[in-house]
This record gives sequence, C-alpha cells and structure tokens, in this order.
Amino acid sequence: MSEGKVRTFFAYVDERFLLVRAHPAVKIVALIVLNVVPWLVEAPVPLAAFLASLLLLATVLRAPLGKLKNYLVYILLVAQAVVLSYALGSKIPGSVAYVKYPWGCYVTEMTFLYMAMVMLRIAGMLVGSTLIFLSLRDVDVVYGLKSLGVPFAAAFVFNLAMRFSALFLDDYAKVRDAMLLKGVRLDVGGPLERAKLLSRTAVPLMVIAVRRMQDLSFALELKGFPPKGKRTYIYTFRWKLADTIALALLIVIVISVVALKVATRLLSFPGWPLV
Amino acid sequence: MVDARKMAVTAVTAGLCLPLALFAIILVPIPGLPAASGFWIPAGFYFVMTLWFGVWGALGGHIATFLAMGYFQGFTLQVWADGALGDLIAPLVALSVFKLMGARPDLRTRKDKIAWLVGVPLASLVCGLWVHTVNLYFGVITWPFWWVGVVTYLVGDSLAVFIVGTPLLRSLTNYVKQSPMYIWKD
Repeated sequence: MSEGKVRTFFAYVDERFLLVRAHPAVKIVALIVLNVVPWLVEAPVPLAAFLASLLLLATVLRAPLGKLKNYLVYILLVAQAVVLSYALGSKIPGSVAYVKYPWGCYVTEMTFLYMAMVMLRIAGMLVGSTLIFLSLRDVDVVYGLKSLGVPFAAAFVFNLAMRFSALFLDDYAKVRDAMLLKGVRLDVGGPLERAKLLSRTAVPLMVIAVRRMQDLSFALELKGFPPKGKRTYIYTFRWKLADTIALALLIVIVISVVALKVATRLLSFPGWPLV
Repeated sequence: MVDARKMAVTAVTAGLCLPLALFAIILVPIPGLPAASGFWIPAGFYFVMTLWFGVWGALGGHIATFLAMGYFQGFTLQVWADGALGDLIAPLVALSVFKLMGARPDLRTRKDKIAWLVGVPLASLVCGLWVHTVNLYFGVITWPFWWVGVVTYLVGDSLAVFIVGTPLLRSLTNYVKQSPMYIWKD
C-alpha cells in the first residue's frame, strides 16, 4: 500500500478523497439518500441529470469508479429483464403503438422511454452507492450506525459478519480441497448437478460453524459483551462544519424531491420537460 | 436484549452464508430475473440456522445475502429490499410454522416432517412474493412477468432448502442440541 492511501470497502483510495474525510454518519445518510432519490423519481430526464451529476461529482472528487465494471453483468441482466418485461408485458399509453399483442399488451414510444427510466434509476443507485462505498471503511459502518442511534451490538455484529466471511471462505477452500483429494469431482454435470455436489460440503462446514459460534460467544462474554455503561472508542470522529452542510443538503434534496413528487407532475413519468 | 450468544449466531451465520451466496449467484443465475438464483445454496444453511437458533440465524442470512448480492449487483436500496429482506422473511416463516405446529427441527416425528414439508415451500412462496413485488415496484419487471418470477423462486428456493437443509437437520440436530444457543427445549 502506498503512502497516503486508505483501505475502504472497494479499494485503496487517496486519503485526500473528500468523501473519505466525511463523518461516518454523513456517509451512511448519503448512501440512503442517493438510493431513495432515484427510487422516488420516475421522470427520465431528471434521472439522467441526477446520474450525470453523480458522474461529474465522481470526476471532480477523482473517485476511482473502475469498480463499476464489476456490475456490468448485473446491469446487462437488469437490462434484458427490463426489455423482455416491457416489450412483452406492458401497457404504457403513447401516440404510436408499434406492436399489439393478443393478450392486451402493447409497445409504444413511451414504453422505450419507461425502459430508459428504469435503467437510469438502477444506474443512478449503482453509481451513488459505489461512490459512497469507495469512501466507506469498516470502522465507518460501526461508528456511522452508532452515531445514528443504532445499538452498538447491531453495528458490531455487522462488522463481525464481514470479518467471518473471509474465515469461512478459507474453511470452504479446505473442505473442498479435502473432497477433491478424496476423488470427488465438483466440476462435472449441469449447473444443478454441480450445485448439488457443492452442497455436499454443507455438513463439515456446518460443524465448523457451530464450533466457531460457541468459541465466539465465549470470547465475547469474556470480553464483557454486551458492553454495560458508557463505552469509549479507539477512533474519534469530529463533527465538522462541512458535515453539517452536507447533511443539510441531503435533507433538503429529499424534502424537495418528495414535495415535487407529491405536488407536481415534474418527477412523475414522463415528467419534466415532457409533461 | 442482545447478548454475546445471539451476536455469535448472527455473525457466524452471515460469515458462513456469504461465500456460499457468492457461489450460488455464479453457478445458477436465472436469465430474465435479476436478484434470483435457481439454486440458492445459502438458503439451506440459514433456514437450518434459524430453526436451531431462532431469529438471530435469519438475521445472519439477511446480512450475508445483502453483502453477497451487493458484491455482484451493487449495494443499492433495490438489492437490499429485494433479496436481503426477502431472505430475512423466509426462514422466519419456516420457524413460525414449526412453532405453530409444535414441531422440532430434528425431523424425527411425522409432525416434524410435515412442518418441514409445509414450512419450506410456504416460506419460499412468501419470499418469492416479496422479492418480485419489490422488483415490480422498482420497475424492473412488469405484472405478466411477476408470477413467472414467483413460481421460479418458489421452486428454486424450496429445492435448495430441501437438498441442503434436510441432511443438515437430520444429521446434526442432535449435535447442535448440546449448544446453549439451541432454542428448543425437549
């Protein structure tokens, strides 16, 4: 790891990356807001503007958005689901009906616009979440949830779960290797057959899990869990003016979107400027 | 009150199910239906963990599904509301069936077996209804495709739980009964 880098969920990022220095509570709230906003908005043009703003923000902040490449397969999966669903099973009124099906569904120019809207919504959520996760460290999850009023135990469990997954990956590899050495072929047959073979690792993995569960509960009890009285923390996160501004901005965005959605048709499909 | 034992159940269940969820997504994706695997291997594990250790096992499955699905599909509201919440609901439905019928997870008596045979498809159906209603609400699928999603989910999830979960319950419940976290009093 080079100097001045911070390990986050997805990558090592420059510690000067502005979002890394934000208070953990602001990161968690931003994660929620950046997902709720595209969910509320149904208008393709405002959604496209939202997505463009996020990409611009990522560029300005020099966020390494290369992680998004990992989601290309999912984007394609969603895209084909959207196209298939809306091309064969929707009734969205428009001025021209290109296809009419015997089962009553039809395709208009608005169907394509609606498909675009769904894809922009999912893309907006993906880019927004990725931007935040690029700045989110595991301690941020615990401290962020804690400062938002979530009990420490719940935040701690979440963090512990992520650490344990790495241990079980190792256990799984050991069990699989032992099975391979005994002559089991895990790579033969169709997908279902392979899945069944894979599931044979279940019993040894479960025994390891139960034993580990008992060890962990003893270790936690010995360490005095659940913590009683006022806890102290190894890290301290100072609430800065920039955090207040960011939080206020996020709240204003949500209130504005809800107000516009309820009071006008600007954010409902087809929305501004197509209303 | 959250104690160390409950925390251990959730953390270990999540840790165990996470790599299995990653494999399930890679192995059997369903074309046309995002957030679904035709053979959701971790379901077998967190159903069993929930039947042995209660709500905290289901919570572990929820965390694992969110982290695993997020790894491939992004940590978005849609992914959380879709599969992760669905996977919290499903094992709790199965647990409720066992509680209501007064059955036990070792599957020794006729009542236990009936609870398992009824509980798993019912739980998968409720989860499938949830998952694809969320998909519908986010605009990813339309009504005519909703029931296709629900049926494939019901079949795929039930199959995985029966294939993975049944041998676990039958062979390991007596071993797990020694654990202080086991919720059933014989």
